[in-house]
Amino acid sequence: CILSSLAVTAQTKITGHIVGSDDKQPVVGAAIRIKGTTIGTVTDVNGNFTLSATSGQTLVITYVGYATTEVNVTGAAAYPITLQVNNKSLNEVIVTGYTSQRKKDISGAVAVVNVSDAKKLPTGSSEQLLQGQASGVTVLTAGAPGAGSNVFVRGVSSFGNSAPLYVIDGVQTNSMSDLNPNDIESISVLKDAGTAAIYGVSGGNGVILITTKRGKSGKTTISYDGFYGTQVPPGGNVWHTLTPQGMAQLASAAGDNGNIGPNKIYTSSLGIPTYGWNGTKGQGAGDNVNLGDYHFDANNPANDFLIQKFNQQGTDWFHEIFKSAPIQSHNITASGGTDKNAYLFSLGYLDQQGTLIDTYLKRYQARINTTFALNDHIRVGETAYMFYKETPYGNPNGYGGYGNQAENNAISMSYRIMPQIPVYDIGGNFGGTYDGPGGEPLGNAANPVAQQYRTKDNFDKTWQIQGSAFAEADFLKHFTARTQFSGTYFNDWEYGFSSLNAYNDYENHGTSNGYFENSRYNSNYNWTNTIKYAQVIGKHNISAFAGYEQREFYGRFLSGVSTNLFSVDPDYANVSNGTLNNKAQSNAIQPTATRSLFAKVDYIYNDRYILSGTIRRDGYSAFGNEKWGNFPAGTAAWRISQEDFMKGISWINDLKLRGSYGVAGNNANINGSNAYSLFGSGFGSSYYAINGTVTSQGFNNSQIGNANTSWEKDKIANFGLDATLFNHLDMSVEYYKKSISGLLYPQPLPATVGGATAPFVNIGDIQNRGWDISATYHGVAGSDFTYSIGANITTYKNEVTSIPGDYFDASNSRVGYLIRNEVGHPIGSFFGYKVIGLNNSTAEANAAPTYAGAAAGSFKYADINGDGKIDANDRTFIGNPNPNFTYGVNLNAAYKGFDFTAVFYGSQGNDDYNFTKYYTDFYSSFTGGKSQAALYNSWGSPGVTNPTVTKASYSQTMGSTIGSSYYVENGSFLKMRVAQIGYTIPVNTTKKVGISKVRVYVQGTNLFTITKYDGLDPELQPSSYNGVSNATQSAAFGVDYGSYPTNQRQYILGVNVTF
Amino acid sequence: YSCKNYLDKKPTGVLASSVLANKAGVEGILIGAYSMLDGVYQGQAVDAWETSVDNWSFGGIASDDAYKGSNPTDQPYAAEIMTHTTSVVNEYVVNKWKNLYNGIQRANDVLREIPQVTDGSIDPTYKAQLIGEARFLRGVYELELSKIWRNVPYVDETVTYDAGNFNVGNPGPIWDKIEADFTAAVAVLPTTQSQIGRANKYAAEAFLAKAYMFDHKYDQAKTALADVITNGVTSSGVKYALEPYANNFNPATKNGPESVFAVQMSVLDNANGYNGNSGDALNYPSGGPATCCGFYQPSFSFVNSFQVDPVRGLPLLDTYNTNNFKSDQGVLATDATWLPDSTTPVDSRLDWSVGRRGIPYLDWGIHPGAAWSRDQPDAGPYSPIKNVYYKAQQGTTSDTYNGWAANQANSNNYNMIRFADVLLWAAECEIESTTGSVAQAVTYVNMVRSRAADPTGWVKGRLTGYTGGDVTKPIVDNTLPAANYKVGLYTAADFTSKDQSRKIIWFERKLELGMEGHRFFDLQRYDGVFGGPGGTGYMKTALTAYIAHDSKIAGFANPTMQGNTFTSNKNEIYPIPQSEIDVEHGPLKQNPNY
Repeated sequence: CILSSLAVTAQTKITGHIVGSDDKQPVVGAAIRIKGTTIGTVTDVNGNFTLSATSGQTLVITYVGYATTEVNVTGAAAYPITLQVNNKSLNEVIVTGYTSQRKKDISGAVAVVNVSDAKKLPTGSSEQLLQGQASGVTVLTAGAPGAGSNVFVRGVSSFGNSAPLYVIDGVQTNSMSDLNPNDIESISVLKDAGTAAIYGVSGGNGVILITTKRGKSGKTTISYDGFYGTQVPPGGNVWHTLTPQGMAQLASAAGDNGNIGPNKIYTSSLGIPTYGWNGTKGQGAGDNVNLGDYHFDANNPANDFLIQKFNQQGTDWFHEIFKSAPIQSHNITASGGTDKNAYLFSLGYLDQQGTLIDTYLKRYQARINTTFALNDHIRVGETAYMFYKETPYGNPNGYGGYGNQAENNAISMSYRIMPQIPVYDIGGNFGGTYDGPGGEPLGNAANPVAQQYRTKDNFDKTWQIQGSAFAEADFLKHFTARTQFSGTYFNDWEYGFSSLNAYNDYENHGTSNGYFENSRYNSNYNWTNTIKYAQVIGKHNISAFAGYEQREFYGRFLSGVSTNLFSVDPDYANVSNGTLNNKAQSNAIQPTATRSLFAKVDYIYNDRYILSGTIRRDGYSAFGNEKWGNFPAGTAAWRISQEDFMKGISWINDLKLRGSYGVAGNNANINGSNAYSLFGSGFGSSYYAINGTVTSQGFNNSQIGNANTSWEKDKIANFGLDATLFNHLDMSVEYYKKSISGLLYPQPLPATVGGATAPFVNIGDIQNRGWDISATYHGVAGSDFTYSIGANITTYKNEVTSIPGDYFDASNSRVGYLIRNEVGHPIGSFFGYKVIGLNNSTAEANAAPTYAGAAAGSFKYADINGDGKIDANDRTFIGNPNPNFTYGVNLNAAYKGFDFTAVFYGSQGNDDYNFTKYYTDFYSSFTGGKSQAALYNSWGSPGVTNPTVTKASYSQTMGSTIGSSYYVENGSFLKMRVAQIGYTIPVNTTKKVGISKVRVYVQGTNLFTITKYDGLDPELQPSSYNGVSNATQSAAFGVDYGSYPTNQRQYILGVNVTF
Repeated sequence: YSCKNYLDKKPTGVLASSVLANKAGVEGILIGAYSMLDGVYQGQAVDAWETSVDNWSFGGIASDDAYKGSNPTDQPYAAEIMTHTTSVVNEYVVNKWKNLYNGIQRANDVLREIPQVTDGSIDPTYKAQLIGEARFLRGVYELELSKIWRNVPYVDETVTYDAGNFNVGNPGPIWDKIEADFTAAVAVLPTTQSQIGRANKYAAEAFLAKAYMFDHKYDQAKTALADVITNGVTSSGVKYALEPYANNFNPATKNGPESVFAVQMSVLDNANGYNGNSGDALNYPSGGPATCCGFYQPSFSFVNSFQVDPVRGLPLLDTYNTNNFKSDQGVLATDATWLPDSTTPVDSRLDWSVGRRGIPYLDWGIHPGAAWSRDQPDAGPYSPIKNVYYKAQQGTTSDTYNGWAANQANSNNYNMIRFADVLLWAAECEIESTTGSVAQAVTYVNMVRSRAADPTGWVKGRLTGYTGGDVTKPIVDNTLPAANYKVGLYTAADFTSKDQSRKIIWFERKLELGMEGHRFFDLQRYDGVFGGPGGTGYMKTALTAYIAHDSKIAGFANPTMQGNTFTSNKNEIYPIPQSEIDVEHGPLKQNPNY
């Protein structure tokens, strides 16, 4: 009786609560079994379980990613149990659209960025952090401080804006550039429709989800992170420029005898005269000029008589404008909280001086993130991020300020200007093309030092606040309701001189000064409401949510310009002080609105079979007749490793096969008023002096509307395999096919329709296919040494599958359009004539196939269509700027107090169009600085047996004025992005002074670049030509006008201190 | 917001056509249609010089008037035009085409808007006039298209995006439709207008005559021209008449009695120079009134044409190119010993048509020669001048073009038709028409020559040397004409045959209207390939002789000229832009032999 009663009473009901050692979060679905029996259960959604057990029995708790744990039943009723992590990554909680999931439960394609590695790249432009850190993400970075990058998720997916959607703490936005890297907690990239379609019409280009840090319960910690370093521009003769004496020899070889002789820029003996002069006392060059006649009158250039002393050694123009420059960053973060409330407060400052003189980024940042639990069921919180930044005003056409990749900016001028021109003339004013004999023998390039100097007071001052507030409440045990209101307010102010008297330029001697101010603001809000449900019923794990969201965008722009200010003192300058052409202009930025409904269901059976489905219905104001669209997606996964037949394979920790298919959309490439036909009015575009003297207002049809235009549709199929092997190796392999139809692009219309802007229509289709592969190995050697090796590879093969008229051309230049987007070819392909050699004689040049202007020493082009002549029909595809693959490698190691990190990034198989050679390699192009190749590799030069450049000629173009394969180079590269060594001072040393951690580090960035590319940097963003920017056209990249190099070395000393 | 309207976001800062459906609105659209006359508009994706109304490229450098200028590789598309190797992707061709059709559709917008006006603000007479002006403008643009490409789509107000009928073909010339537009305009336009820039009845009639001239309908042209000459007045009511030659090229004296129809140029009006003659922004000496860009440099042959026989002061119709008139080709800017020829007799219009060393360049002082030529070995020593403004008026008549080219847009009007043009057409008609009279032709030609012979209209200021051998200190005698000008009159005895008469009149047009963008189209009009009286190949013969002469001048490399050849039955007109052919997918066909 006693025994039996004992047995009865001993079989008591016990409860337990299981959390993970890593995140202290409940472990859902952990299996609890009584050792030696078949009795068991699993934890519920809150990590709780109930079981009948007898004192003395042992509970065995298993859960993937955690060490199997045994707990003795002691007679106590409640058992708080903590599982120790043995493989962190599987249980890593990953932020996905509107929710978060454990990695093992994800059935779509999500790449997770290793934030701690990524943050080691010192940059003012945070999307650069993504480069090489996530498979499936291609990033083209820019070198100018703070300049944005081009980010493609799974390749270029549009003819216009291919940028992904950024969601920062739930706020949908179009950039992460100005985010403080120190604030970032996590970054995940949604790549397939299964994960991104929940963002509907905005998700087609992929989604980058970012969360920022929040306080953790515990005592207040204050940490300081700072670094100081120097950036070093590339050394050597980067443009392969000739010496002044070489220039003289080249002029002679080219037969440019009009510039050789007395009073010419080259002496009869092919030297450089001592002086050049121009102005009231005449023009000329030679050794004898009365230096006392020098006269400079900034306000009245007609009175100038300027003299410059030619630089016999040659001016190293590149290094006159590129100097070593400091970079520093300081951040203080205070965070803490209780079990109810948490807060984080951070202040940051970044000051990056550009190596190009007078370029810089200064940014001041502040963040406040708080969460308050009002009770066990209700939480409220907010995030707020403010920054203020200063950059130079960048005009894309390069006339004022700095705009990258334009042939008129300072970098381009550093190869276009002749080496014999000095930086300063004899009076200390700028030297240039003006001071010389008649005509324009010194060319038409501007002095790049003067260009930068004249724009040094041109500012762009920006401030922005982005924030959100939320409230969420749990109810009915399984439900959570959440509402979040967020918004962004952006304001910037630009001002400066649009022109200053460029007295040193032959072309612009006498230009009056001009001044401008621009101001704009734009604002948007997101209002997001969701209800979530989660429940575990036996072997069924169900979660779901539904939501409603609305977004609006609005902004205005105001600008003023004037010319002829009495003084160019920046303290005097404002628009009202101009004496001519004072005018103001204002624009409303077209408002847009989006309204959405969405839902997602996740179902997991027995931890093995995972199904997920999403649907979103979006309405967008820019579309006319059909504002609403539906975006469905579904995923399925099978965790093979959970199957019984796999249990015996000890080296396979986890193996998951998954697939997804769905539709997302893109509406980034349409103007908000696209549906409407409109009349407009502009002084220069529709006004006319109908009465003969003053202009009267006129109107013109400014835009043709199309109400039938709809969104771009991205159908994405994805297959993936995730594995964790040997407890140390995580890997993921994915194959995808992304078919994008209805690409938004302005409809090509014949001129017979008139001059109004063509509407955006759904024009063509493209397709991307590729593999995303990533692997990370975590290793331990001995008790003190740990290391990890991570690598990822991104491939995409792009093909245009449909387009009206089969092609359109892009990226206009002095040698014609460089790029053709054509059916059957990758987007952005280089198009032109194919050089197959040089004509060795007049007879050879005149023999068919030939072209007008062919001569001995001219390019010989391939007769592609075989019709016996070379004409526009012989242009062909001559290169592809899309890489075969890009890859990143991260190495980490730690030994006792030391740690080491190295990050590499590479791109393989991409071509670059080195347009700088148009200016430097051909004597017959614009007069200016020329390259060594123009003299030493040209046809007919003494001793040259294998010429690659056409015969140097003053009078004949030698076929060099048309775009050809001559300019196309292999743009593959491998860059060492980061190498960092850190040392953490032992805690017991620092604790005495109240510091819990001190780490110091030294770092080198871009220590080397391996490439065969001849230009400054093979990594090239879109360019602009004649003021028409291609920057918004992701379909036109890989063209080099002299890009601000992104691979400059940086040497940095940094410290992390935590109190 | 109500739920229903949340996604309705109206366009901002622009107007729907319904807002313009009233008198002021229609007048505004009409002004917008006029504003395309200068060939350029701010916001076009291309530079103004590609589409200039004065046709300095298509009509000037492609003819024997001028070279492209600057250095050999500057503006390669202009070099193609000069050397008759214009490609189907040439930007000048592509964009001129676009801008002319833009003008046509702006005119059509007026015609489409008028029926929408229901508020009674436009009375029937004014309505007819507005329609007439719109059809006039459409005719002007269509005529320009026909001159350049001949076989062009005719686009009336029924062609719209919404109707989907915009892929218009070009089965052949559209002279009949152009003539119908102008005839309709003549019928309804008043003889005077409240605003000088608006076309009146006689402007329309002169354009009608111009269309007839290109259509070789000399009888109809003669009738129209007679009315213009006899009764014609400007829009301000001033009787058409010749005025001092230089007044036609001076912003201060624009819209004078000779201005039959002018494109109104204005500056300093918040338009960044786009309302000035920015199509000529490159066409300045590279020094003096602007520091860039040295394009549109008059040719040696053109300068030679002004040489006259010393006895009667008549042009050397057949031998003008035998001797090159003295030039400073190859002479250093600092050479103070070089002086211009002041003995060889020349037509007085030379120095209002060509800037050259040693001669006053408007009021900019003595032209300094090489210092103002951007690349003299390539493009010679001469400068354009007709489109340039005066130094004394710099502050009011010049503007900065597009934010960078200081003083490179000015308010010099471009006379699409001036009275001298009318008189010389009339002279042609007297020769070609079935009812013509040689005596009347002589009268017309001599009207033009008499004006040139009047010493009060000559360039004054003869350079006689330099103080102390310093080229910056020229010694100028302002009482003397700059050169030895001599202009005599013809007699009926000189008009010995139809051919000789044509030669005289055509040569007179070359002298009178040189550097105004007409020469290429005149040659095309004379050529028999399209029915002109000069016989098939006339144009080829003329230009081949010019190319041969100007590519072999001592001391002048002229490299751009080297590849220049003219192919008959092809180069009389320009290629239709390939991009337009492609985008129409069928109806639009390329011109022959391109």
